[in-house]
Amino acid sequence: MTPGALVRIASRIRELATQRAYGPFLATRYLLTRPINLLGMLGVTLSVWALVVVVSLFSGVIVVIEEHVHAASADVSIGSLPAGTSWSKLHDAIADDPNVRGQAPRLVHFGMLNRPGVRPPPPILPGRGALHGGDQPFLFVLGVEPAAEANVTGFADWLRDPAIPADLRVADPDDPLRTIDSTATVLVGFERMKRDGLKRGDEVVLTSGRVYQAADGNKTLEQIPMTMRVAGAYKSMHGGFDGNNVFVDRATLNRALFADDPDTIQEVAVRLRDDAKLWETADRLQRTVARITDRGDGRAYGSVQTWRQKNATFLASIEHQRALLKIVLIVIMVVAAFLMLATLSMMVTEKTSDIGILTAMGGTPIGVMQIFLSCGLVITGLGIVTGIGTGCLTAVHLEEVRQFVLWTTGVDLFPLDVYNLDRVPSSIDPWWLLQVAGMALGTGFLVSALPAFRAARHDPLVSLRSS
Amino acid sequence: MTAPVLAARGITKTYRLGRQDIPVLRGVDLDVGEGEMVALLGASGAGKSTLLHVLGLLDPPTAGDVLFDGRPVHGLPIAERAQLRHAHTGFVFQFYHLIPELTALQNVMLAGMMTTSWLSWWKDRRAAKARAIAMLEHVGLADRMRHRPAELSGGERQRVAIARALLVGPKVILADEPTGNLDSKTAASVIELMFSLQAERRIAFLLVTHDESLASRCHRVVRMRDGVVVHG
Repeated sequence: MTPGALVRIASRIRELATQRAYGPFLATRYLLTRPINLLGMLGVTLSVWALVVVVSLFSGVIVVIEEHVHAASADVSIGSLPAGTSWSKLHDAIADDPNVRGQAPRLVHFGMLNRPGVRPPPPILPGRGALHGGDQPFLFVLGVEPAAEANVTGFADWLRDPAIPADLRVADPDDPLRTIDSTATVLVGFERMKRDGLKRGDEVVLTSGRVYQAADGNKTLEQIPMTMRVAGAYKSMHGGFDGNNVFVDRATLNRALFADDPDTIQEVAVRLRDDAKLWETADRLQRTVARITDRGDGRAYGSVQTWRQKNATFLASIEHQRALLKIVLIVIMVVAAFLMLATLSMMVTEKTSDIGILTAMGGTPIGVMQIFLSCGLVITGLGIVTGIGTGCLTAVHLEEVRQFVLWTTGVDLFPLDVYNLDRVPSSIDPWWLLQVAGMALGTGFLVSALPAFRAARHDPLVSLRSS
Repeated sequence: MTAPVLAARGITKTYRLGRQDIPVLRGVDLDVGEGEMVALLGASGAGKSTLLHVLGLLDPPTAGDVLFDGRPVHGLPIAERAQLRHAHTGFVFQFYHLIPELTALQNVMLAGMMTTSWLSWWKDRRAAKARAIAMLEHVGLADRMRHRPAELSGGERQRVAIARALLVGPKVILADEPTGNLDSKTAASVIELMFSLQAERRIAFLLVTHDESLASRCHRVVRMRDGVVVHG
């Protein structure tokens, strides 16, 4: 590049930075005298509004779901424990941690629940089923000690949820898994109880199994059916947990599955004193577990997971949905951008006759470009401000909007019971607002620059002669 | 002797049409002195308008120089040429070229905004408006300032265009058939206005016209034929 070219480029940049008075003046007049520009502004407003409202709604749902998932999970879960792990030794070591408030031993197994002589029901809740565990007959069977469990999760409150009708409630919330007529009991999630038509005291068969390894090395699966009675329903805030988990007494499950090892545990649920120290406590507990379970064979036993890690797949899937939704909504912004491009291009075509006289009066190509660029940026700016303003207002009053639509059309835009909510949630993230504004501004700049550049390249003599 | 306010030295202008070069100006020399009224006559296609555009720095010559006050200006950067065009030269066209969205007053005020930054113009806006009003009053449009071009007659539009060209006090007005689109009565009044302004403000005029009677009233007549000056 020659020095002359550099000087010319520097001169153009300097000129671009110095807005002449005619640019904003004409841009304002052009905008005010062309109502069609409102279309472009409305397009930007609509796309920004949609990005703010839908993402705020989804963010609100994610916040609530995370709360519900956390409420249904222990802060930290210690699993993958080797057979023969001494519960008392492990308990004492975990209890020594300064941030541990409570812990509960668990057996975690798989099973199926059905009435005697009746096969498990087929999937009947498509769509909602995935969230509520209704589309498959398999369950996690958690062998727990109710008193200890109440120290690590909201277990005690789940039994007393007012939504559970009297005939489904446990008889004694302080001892929910006590036997009925000398038969062991099982606690079933409220949604599953309703779906399967179960009542307290009903007889059910909980079928589990275990693998036996014969002397010749062959492995066989032994079916272990356990006849039990329904102790009642529990209801956490996390429908997915309720649908997929049943609780039984740990000692009962231990006898059925591990008769030769009465003190077996497979998981320890831990509640922390200070959630802010979640990750460092998890690291510390990992070292503690490795020390206690060390067998000198060079292998590491025991896996410590925070509640986020344990539910990572589920939380990531929701986050993934939000990301997909953002992409879909950004397409609306692209459509709005094309609308703006069309209106601005029309304006440039109409105003080419002005370019000749502006040049004759002392205007420059960059000055002409600034006029049309200003028009586009004003349209974009107004669209962004209006879109973010109305978007935030809508996001804050989403529940009122839902009720209004329900009242006027009978359509429920957001069924609250699917997510165990009492109102439509929303969470406005200022960083997302900035991102939306930035994206809209960038897109607006691009679609304004194209017609503005065309105007700047227009030969002024053509318009002077053509008249 | 002072240098002419506007001069052409050996101006040639060739347009390329496909593979063919079309010479429009073939070595034109021309001087316009301070306060001089020069008529440029010639048949259609003689190169009058092209010469006007070259002299007004709207179109670069293929060869030759344009001089403002004796200073060669062809080859200056775009911004400087625009600044010179603004300060040194005013244009009046046959078809007025007013901005239809603006009132007569705003059209005239626009001329004052072309090379001023927004901030400077805003600080000086009252004075700028007063100057534009005075200019419109001077051309006899005191009662038509708030009207848009579509609400003005042809003669009134041309008066607005003249006021706009005069606002920044140029040394020379380049007028391309300023009365070509007006009836004879209106044309006569516009011509009178230009002559009075020339006498009063010592502004040079280079008038492209087909009107011999108008040309005869000018200080000098320059005739063009096939891209060359044949008399003047």
